[in-house]
Amino acid sequence: MTWVRTKLELERMAAGEALVVRCRPGEALENVPRSARDAGHRVAVEGTTVRIVRA
Amino acid sequence: MSNSRRGFLRELASVVTAAKDAIEQPVVPDLTDAEVERYSRQLVLPEWGAAAQLALTEASVLVIGAGALGSPVGLYLAGAGVGRIGIVDDDAVELSNLHRQLLHFTPDLGTPKSESAAAKLRFLNPDVVIEPYQVRVAAANAPALVEGQDLVVDCSDSFATRYAVNAACCAARVPVVEAGVLGMAGMVMSIKPGRTACYRCAFPTAPADAPRCADAGVLGPAAGVIGSLQAMEALKLLTGVAPAIADGFLQVDLATAEFLRVRAARREDCPDCSPL
Repeated sequence: MTWVRTKLELERMAAGEALVVRCRPGEALENVPRSARDAGHRVAVEGTTVRIVRA
Repeated sequence: MSNSRRGFLRELASVVTAAKDAIEQPVVPDLTDAEVERYSRQLVLPEWGAAAQLALTEASVLVIGAGALGSPVGLYLAGAGVGRIGIVDDDAVELSNLHRQLLHFTPDLGTPKSESAAAKLRFLNPDVVIEPYQVRVAAANAPALVEGQDLVVDCSDSFATRYAVNAACCAARVPVVEAGVLGMAGMVMSIKPGRTACYRCAFPTAPADAPRCADAGVLGPAAGVIGSLQAMEALKLLTGVAPAIADGFLQVDLATAEFLRVRAARREDCPDCSPL
């Protein structure tokens, strides 16, 4: 569900804007960066914080 | 952490304009938490999203026929979150319906199909407004039924009804998804009145000796496939996430597993859509 919510938030943002997502360790922390990269966004992960720049 | 990664994070931090905690806060005020969860498997599709979901929520769709085609259509449209669904059928549930009409169960025998279907769809998705109409669609009442709808899905089982629905939808400029199924084959066609070929453009006259389902038979999964294709077309027309099967139809032969796209053009002399 974390990626679904992240995707919906990204839809509301302009290209180049950044979104910071704090993920629980485990599935969400694995899925969110991977799905964001697959969708073409720039992604950086530091600990449980995922920073996504909207494509 | 490498220097390059630190640099990237600093760069990102400088342009952050939105920061949301995806765990603790709802981030899409237009969709409730329950809606996000219920529709999550379609919301997550690259082609889908909040805009498509809200388009469905605001849509009013009339499903004509609550039988073999209307069952999967009703189930998928209610499941997907279409806001208002009208179900039109004047028949009652019969034992011979149950092998292919998935919305009706043995305890429903004798119940009006529109009521039986509405009850199941309300269980499936209580957020959808379901309106049953126990009437037979004909040329006389079709215009009033389709008026104000965003889309009509014609799941009827006769040429006469399809022509009546097509004419009414063309006159009201309401998009319609037509379909038919018999034996192990069927067809599906989306129509945008005034813009693409209508049902009568593709089929100007009904065949003189068209067999009926009761005589020729139909396999349940064949109706399920055609009805599912109709539901898919409906979702495409309502949201615009993919092009519909327009200006022609999809002919499906499930005995040979062949899908054939057949082109059809608007006819200048079409009595239904040429005035548009």
